[in-house]
Amino acid sequence: MSNYFTRPDEPPTYSPTYTEPPPEQTIHAHPEFQTLRNDYRRFAAVSTALAVGGFLLYVLLSNFAPGIMNQPLAGHLTLGLALGLGQFVVMGVTAWRYVRRMRTRFDPVARGLRSQLEQRRPAQHRAAEQAGPRPQSKREFRTW
Amino acid sequence: MVTTIAAGVVDPFSRQLTFVLFLSVVVVTLFAALLIAPQRDEVGEFYLGNREMSPLRNGLAMCGDYLSAATLLGSTGLVALTGYDGLLYLCGTTVAWMMVLLVIAEPLRNSGRFTLGDTLALRLPQGGRSVRLALSLCTLAICCLYLVAQLVGSVALLTQFTGVPSSTTRTLCVVVIGTIVIVYASLGGMPGATFIQIVKAVMLISGVAVTAVMVLHRFDWNVNALLEAATENSGIGQRFLEPGLRYGGSTTSKLDFLSLQLAIVLGLAALPHVMMRLLAPRSTNVLRSSVVWAAGLVGFVCLAAGILGLGATALVGRDSIVDTDPKGDAAVLLLAQSIGGGVLTALLSCLAFVTLLAVAAGLTLAAASSLAHDLYGEVIRKGRATQAEELGAARLAAVLIGALGMGLALLSWETNVSTLAFLAFAIAASALLPTLLYSLFWRRFNSRGALLSLCGGLVCSVLLVVFSPVVSSTPSSIYPSSDFAWFPLQNPGIVSIPAGFFLGWLGTVLSRREVPDTYDEFEVRALVGVD
Repeated sequence: MSNYFTRPDEPPTYSPTYTEPPPEQTIHAHPEFQTLRNDYRRFAAVSTALAVGGFLLYVLLSNFAPGIMNQPLAGHLTLGLALGLGQFVVMGVTAWRYVRRMRTRFDPVARGLRSQLEQRRPAQHRAAEQAGPRPQSKREFRTW
Repeated sequence: MVTTIAAGVVDPFSRQLTFVLFLSVVVVTLFAALLIAPQRDEVGEFYLGNREMSPLRNGLAMCGDYLSAATLLGSTGLVALTGYDGLLYLCGTTVAWMMVLLVIAEPLRNSGRFTLGDTLALRLPQGGRSVRLALSLCTLAICCLYLVAQLVGSVALLTQFTGVPSSTTRTLCVVVIGTIVIVYASLGGMPGATFIQIVKAVMLISGVAVTAVMVLHRFDWNVNALLEAATENSGIGQRFLEPGLRYGGSTTSKLDFLSLQLAIVLGLAALPHVMMRLLAPRSTNVLRSSVVWAAGLVGFVCLAAGILGLGATALVGRDSIVDTDPKGDAAVLLLAQSIGGGVLTALLSCLAFVTLLAVAAGLTLAAASSLAHDLYGEVIRKGRATQAEELGAARLAAVLIGALGMGLALLSWETNVSTLAFLAFAIAASALLPTLLYSLFWRRFNSRGALLSLCGGLVCSVLLVVFSPVVSSTPSSIYPSSDFAWFPLQNPGIVSIPAGFFLGWLGTVLSRREVPDTYDEFEVRALVGVD
């Protein structure tokens, strides 16, 4: 396992749009990366707590408060059964929100940081990688 | 315990039809697996398969790896027998996939290469070798337990056909299934395993959907009428739709159920063969869409399985299900017999066998990859093995693990399938998950913490099961006559999962602060990716 990031020995060249950060700073110390990381962690923690914690709470309620869960709502549908179906709805909404958030807020920033990372690599690394068969990351998936 | 069933559930016609169907699926998939098997001596292709697959196909393969025959037969049977508690169990299976989507999938793929060991080696370069060894042990334990559960399940399924099988039939069944699994895994590698997973997932989804539609159609698409009939034919009225039928009563059994749910929700997400599949997609976008597809498919199958379970009680009756098989595994087949006749029964039985086969192949492959890549490649040969040597080791390891699984399954064919599976989940949740989460998200985490949580989680779960009612003190235990069960719960999760997390924390805190330099690079890589 070699190290994956090679620190540039010489000051790397930047594209004109990126004037900051100063050359000795790593991507990790980049303020954009810090915001991205904190954002990602907060969102993952909140949605996991909602989906997984919510379910465990539901299991606890079913076990230790059956009186509440057995209240009939309509016909044979009890509150407990309705909440169980609700779990599937919560999961669907969480997954949808996750995908939307990653697509709109996370991916653009990550892409920017990644291209900066590429630029910081020494030239021979890039040349070697471009020579090999590189996958198209933005490939359209038309097949099923 | 496999129970005495006077004769099989299935009539001779569907028995023959099942045999023909199963044989044709096996022949077709074996040929396909051999055709698309890795052509060159390249470990990447053997471990990861086709990395350019579309999200739907990836999602189908993930769904195939994730849902075992236990979901099809065991969970539906649980719903048919215990109503509400069984539905909770199905719900947990779906929730577990959310852990994969939200927390594990993307950072793991970005930082991983072939196995979880590569991620850990990148994160903890100081203690790479011993961590890999411990990780390989845990992977092997989980995969073997789950593999034995699948093979024992095949014997239990055979029981539905022929009544209690003689020792020759039993051996033949396990050896035939095991051999097919070995061929898939050792010759086909990941491409072959992926193919059978996709075939199985398509069969599973369509089979379950068709049967659920037939059940709902029988009740004119009125769910309330289905619930009504289910409560009536359950013999216990509205109690059927109330919690506590299986795990009610004492506080101990309620805690047991909570413990089981914890192990399912946290352990299913950390099963090695599922994690290995997450590494396959080349780009993060494809991975994300694949995991979302898989989430949708898993949710759909679980909902449909709930309908099947309720339908079995409503149409067959709880008493006749219990009469046939007290564990409830026969519920789906009885339901199929009652609404679709012999053809549907044969289709669903064939589906169950193919499901067993596919999950067993995925497990064998995951264990073989871990053995060849982590143990042989990095620990024994210290990273100096050539690709051809490592590939040879992987194929040999697949054969060895398959043979080991067959041997253990024949020795312990009377063990309850779900006991073995639940122990595997508990180990995954208390050994692999803490290590994985800490290394992804905790800066200070170091190799001693990883070692302690891996070994501690494994030892803790196994010991707690050994000293639980599963092994001794009750009539259904493995050793009913002796009594050394001081741990009251059948599922160790509620103790062993916090223990795994605690040990990881303790090991880290007690050891010297290591240079946090690697974590910065690792975190950038895990979050942003390098593609």
